[in-house]
Amino acid sequence: MSYRAFLFFLVMGCGFGAKAQQFATRSAHIAFLSETPLEDIQAESHEASSIFDAATGQIAFQVPILSFHFPKALMEEHFNENYMESEQFPKASFRGTVSGLDTGAQGEQEVTAKGVLEMHGVALEREVKGTMTRSETGWSIVAAFSVPCTDHDIDIPKVVSENIAEIIEVTLSANLEPR
Amino acid sequence: MMRSPWLVALLCAGASLVHPLFGQDDLMGFFDEPTGPQLVTSVFKAGRIINVQSPETSGKGEMNFIIAHRFGRISDGWYDLFGLDNAQMRMGLDYGITDQLQVGIARSGFGKTLEANAKWRFVEQQMGGGSPVSLTAYSVLMRDGLRFPVDGLERKGVHRLSFVNQVVVARKCSPDVSVALIPSLVHRNLVDRADRANDVATLGAGFRYKLNNRLSVNGEYHYLLPRPIEDDYVNSLSLGLDIETGGHVFQLHITNSRGMFERAFLSETSSSWQDGDLYFGFNINRVFQVGQRR
Repeated sequence: MSYRAFLFFLVMGCGFGAKAQQFATRSAHIAFLSETPLEDIQAESHEASSIFDAATGQIAFQVPILSFHFPKALMEEHFNENYMESEQFPKASFRGTVSGLDTGAQGEQEVTAKGVLEMHGVALEREVKGTMTRSETGWSIVAAFSVPCTDHDIDIPKVVSENIAEIIEVTLSANLEPR
Repeated sequence: MMRSPWLVALLCAGASLVHPLFGQDDLMGFFDEPTGPQLVTSVFKAGRIINVQSPETSGKGEMNFIIAHRFGRISDGWYDLFGLDNAQMRMGLDYGITDQLQVGIARSGFGKTLEANAKWRFVEQQMGGGSPVSLTAYSVLMRDGLRFPVDGLERKGVHRLSFVNQVVVARKCSPDVSVALIPSLVHRNLVDRADRANDVATLGAGFRYKLNNRLSVNGEYHYLLPRPIEDDYVNSLSLGLDIETGGHVFQLHITNSRGMFERAFLSETSSSWQDGDLYFGFNINRVFQVGQRR
């Protein structure tokens, strides 16, 4: 009986061991830019969450849509009310797996994360390139990618099509600490 | 005990299978942890439901120019093109000092009235904890600009002033439905007739129902509470449509109140829906960002 109990704790121990390999933050930075000849619209959030499991290479990001702030209050209102419908779809997320990462190596490494990007209720398979750097205690992650509005059913009416880009450039930076 | 090596092997295999799943669950769990209450925004589209204040204020550094018209009585028919020949106008400027505090000035042709007002949303509605309603205080000083009648009575500048103080208790019940309860106090330094009270209280209610992201139906009703002196004024009822086009919010409505400042529509509405004495009108809200937000 005690043998089984020992096994049980061994298995549990595996679980806890995995946890020590996890890195996370709740203050990742995500910014985006819509660039048109008429107007550049920028917004940023410092309230994105991110978690990375070094043992499995799994990585996930999540950001509350309402946490994006704009230089103009009206832009923010339109973003939440008309385009992202943030009450219906309060969060955007990416869940995937990092490849090309040597967890033992120092310095900046080019990596690719393959997974699912979900926003405005539409989930799409995406491959995102970025860099990961081992810091003293955790990982710092930088990535940039673009999101075509139509891919996520974000409807831009004709009247404002000159002011809002069809493809939005997103940049992300996060410093993950051991969880 | 013959089986125990198998059991160990099974458990090990199980553990290695479970392992990535374990990780996945942990990743999900991290996001599921509560992160505190979330602000509820865009309870109404514009600063006014129709006539009365909504909980919305201009954002920090935002200047909101409001131009509003109330036409003549629809019941006047073809001769006045259903009232369109006679317009009353109100022009207002609202400025956001913070995202919650706004000050404004306005001029109405109605009574040649000049207004100074301030609006402060001092409690925000929040999801996942926090207050279930937002509380907004609104205070307006109105100065009547009409020439004093020549009737032998001595009047001073202070007699031109009237005040309204109100609180807007608002709640966004769902993304489509918002409601508000608005108790108001009206004070007139001087009333025009002896059978009218200086102080009047009203209890108002308003709603917004979103038809889609750019269109909503709005309504408001103000009940005149019993006054020390019963006058011949009636309750104000307005129904309207908000149309948002990007930089502008157009508000079209039908109302039995012709004045567009608080004292007039809360406490001095004399036309009644029952008699068909209604006015068509609109507000146009145009926003300019003049100051830095951050």
